[in-house]
Amino acid sequence: MSLEPIAFGALAVLLVASALAVVLTKNLFHSVLWLALTLTGTAGIFLTLDAEFLAAVQLLLYAGGVVTIAVFAIVVTERLVGDRITQTSRQIFSGLIIAGAVLVGLLTFILRAPLTRPRPPLAGDFTRAIGDAVLTRFVLSFELLGMLFLAALLGALYFARPDD
Amino acid sequence: MPASVSLQGYLILAAVLFAVGLFGVVTRRNTIGILLGIELMLNAVNINLVAFARFNGDPVGMVFTLFTISITVAEVALGLALVILIFRVRRTAIADHLDLLRG
Amino acid sequence: MTDPGSLVTLALLLPAATFFLLALAYPLRRRGRAAGIVSLVGAAVALAAALRAWQLQSAEGFTRIVTEWIPQESGSLATVGVLADADSTVMLVLVALVSFLVQLYSLGYLATEPPASLGRYYVYQALFAFSMMGLVLAPGFVQLFICWELVGLCSYLLIGYWYDRPEAARAAVKAFWVTKAGDVGLLVGIVLLWLRAGTFDFLELYDLVRAGQLPIAGLGLVTFCIYLGAVGKSAQFPLHVWLPDAMEGPTPVSALIHAATMVTAGVYLLKRTNWLFALTPDVLVLVGWIGAFTALLAAVLACVQSDIKRVLAYSTVSQLGYMMAAMGAGFAAAGFLHLLTHGIFKALLFLGAGAVIHAVGSNDIYRMGGLRRHMPQTTIVFLVGTLSLAGIPLFGGFFSKEEILGAVWSGGLSVPFWMLVTAAFLTAFYMFRVVFIAFFGVPAAPAPLAQGAPGGHGAPGGGHLHDAPPVMTLPLWLLAVLSVGIGVYFTAHHGEPEFSAPGWLTPLAIAVAVGGIAMAWLTYSRRVISADLLAEIFAPIRRAALARFWLDDLFEGLYRGAVLGLSAAVGWVDRYLVDGVVNVLSAWTLTGGDRLRRMQTGLPQDYVYGLAVGLLLLLIWVQWPR
Repeated sequence: MSLEPIAFGALAVLLVASALAVVLTKNLFHSVLWLALTLTGTAGIFLTLDAEFLAAVQLLLYAGGVVTIAVFAIVVTERLVGDRITQTSRQIFSGLIIAGAVLVGLLTFILRAPLTRPRPPLAGDFTRAIGDAVLTRFVLSFELLGMLFLAALLGALYFARPDD
Repeated sequence: MPASVSLQGYLILAAVLFAVGLFGVVTRRNTIGILLGIELMLNAVNINLVAFARFNGDPVGMVFTLFTISITVAEVALGLALVILIFRVRRTAIADHLDLLRG
Repeated sequence: MTDPGSLVTLALLLPAATFFLLALAYPLRRRGRAAGIVSLVGAAVALAAALRAWQLQSAEGFTRIVTEWIPQESGSLATVGVLADADSTVMLVLVALVSFLVQLYSLGYLATEPPASLGRYYVYQALFAFSMMGLVLAPGFVQLFICWELVGLCSYLLIGYWYDRPEAARAAVKAFWVTKAGDVGLLVGIVLLWLRAGTFDFLELYDLVRAGQLPIAGLGLVTFCIYLGAVGKSAQFPLHVWLPDAMEGPTPVSALIHAATMVTAGVYLLKRTNWLFALTPDVLVLVGWIGAFTALLAAVLACVQSDIKRVLAYSTVSQLGYMMAAMGAGFAAAGFLHLLTHGIFKALLFLGAGAVIHAVGSNDIYRMGGLRRHMPQTTIVFLVGTLSLAGIPLFGGFFSKEEILGAVWSGGLSVPFWMLVTAAFLTAFYMFRVVFIAFFGVPAAPAPLAQGAPGGHGAPGGGHLHDAPPVMTLPLWLLAVLSVGIGVYFTAHHGEPEFSAPGWLTPLAIAVAVGGIAMAWLTYSRRVISADLLAEIFAPIRRAALARFWLDDLFEGLYRGAVLGLSAAVGWVDRYLVDGVVNVLSAWTLTGGDRLRRMQTGLPQDYVYGLAVGLLLLLIWVQWPR
């Protein structure tokens, strides 16, 4: 019995449970924390898929950056609004219906497709492959990504400027 | 237990995460909560991409994932900034109250 | 300029030139009398040319001058020009003569009209002369039809000459509409004939018929449609209702158009194409029957009229019926002869009536009486015309009327024959009724007449009971002399008839005419027979006749029903279907927009619902073909 299915199973359970917690918790701050756990679990999934680079990126950017920003945002808005932010949910029933329907649709789609082959053996280092691809096949997108970050940075600066 | 998890397993996991994220988006009342749901959905997508990349042996899926992560980070940052600005003006956290675009 | 072809062309183009001159040169037209003189000169020259052409024209030959008008691949589709043969030249003489005399007469009759109106009158007269001549000389159906319509237009213009009188305007429109109904038939017939024969030209059609190459099948419909045009124009039953009302126009107009020329166009048409009608004897029988019936009907109607012009109008309808009956019996020459003689003496009668109206100021014969003392000349000429119309020997109408009776008898139409004989009796009766009441007997009360009495239908003058001025009496005498001259000529040169009439026919005709006169004398002059008793005996017929057999009401009801019903239906369709569709669509758009707008709640989460639903649909659609 290899490690992989067990790891996958454990991670899967962790992921689903913490995702549910994200959407169901009343306290917003707790939601964010559960999100952090979910993102970490996703990093673990990446590891089982031999995508180490991406796992690292996920941890750094998502679990580190996004969660931090979210926490800051909650704290600031809590201060702005002046009372504890609670989460109440609206229209749970129709939400369940629609989410369930989408799930069912996706599942039927997936299960019908012939995707039961085992994974092929590792053909090389994925990180190296990613690096190569980014700087050759996808160099244009990569550069544009830089432009996107520039735009985001400018936008953030604009938002952050004091009101004159 | 099978020898290794097939592609279908990863896809099913991603689908479940996606559905949960969708439920969160349509159900949450707070704007930040909606953004968290979106995060979950994007995560599911990333899992999908990486799984396909691994099972096809083509790194393009992972490159795509890299890009989506980067873009998501930028989007979340600015989105939260917008949320803060809106809260400054309208003094409400409830998404239901932000219906200026009502037809 | 010595062949009939160029002469008739000259005669045709002169009135056209006059028309254009008067129509375009407003200063000339504004002086009424000057315009009249110009028109008269043109008419005189045209008459001279027509007479010369008739003289030169032989009985069998013809001259044909045509120019192409509408070309087609092989040959021409339609031509215009002149076709001068025996029939057309003599008809041309009739048209030119009566046109000239009427224009001369009008100078006196309409002397009190404003000059600009008089100029307008002569413009119309010139146009009419040109159109009628064009119709007479037409070499083919196209020119015939165009001139047919033009003549109808002139009739409308001239009936409605006094356009500020509502009765005149209505009568003009009625004339136009009723003849138009017939004209539609004519047009259909012409086109159908063209579809069969491939040509509009009379000569080519005649050659086709003679060579037997015209298919007979279905030709009856064609000739019937052509006959419908004649029904309208020549006032046959049931389209005769316009002619009595057309008397609202000036009397010279009635003399020209509604006695001698335009109304005879239908008879002329049948004469022109009788070789075509000969191929469809059933239609000819119908023509004969309707002609005879019209003659009798109109004669009955004439007996109860008190308006002198209306009596003459119904008399014209009746005589047209005679002509058509002869056509229907298959002896077109007899009908044509009557057309010519009737044109002369009916124009005479109308112009004489005009003189009387001019003097008395009223059309009502009961306001006249004892006129022979004050207007001896008019009395004499009117009497000449009446005797011709009644069919007394030595006068113009006798011979032609007897020819018609003989023709109808020989043609085997026995019931129509007796109808015509009865009509002849009635003709003599009602005409002499008028003579005895108006010219003989006791004058009616003179006082109300002098003030342009209400019965005076806008007739100019009035109140001066004397003979008309020479410009009016000259045409009268000319026509009277012609009428007697024709009678004497035919009595002397008794031509070879085409048919064999039974020996008792002539005595019967004379007896019937004399009997009618005697009846009228006894009733209205001697007062031996009481007119009221006669009225009582024939009360139902009399009442029906006074109501004009309710034909006018029938037509009006049909028209109202059809036209207004159609408009109502069309209006309904327009309001509820056409507009309705548009309105429904716009209403749906509005309500749809209203309902759909509720989708825009402004909350992004609801839009995410939409996205999710779309995603579902996509998934289903992708997996559907399994």
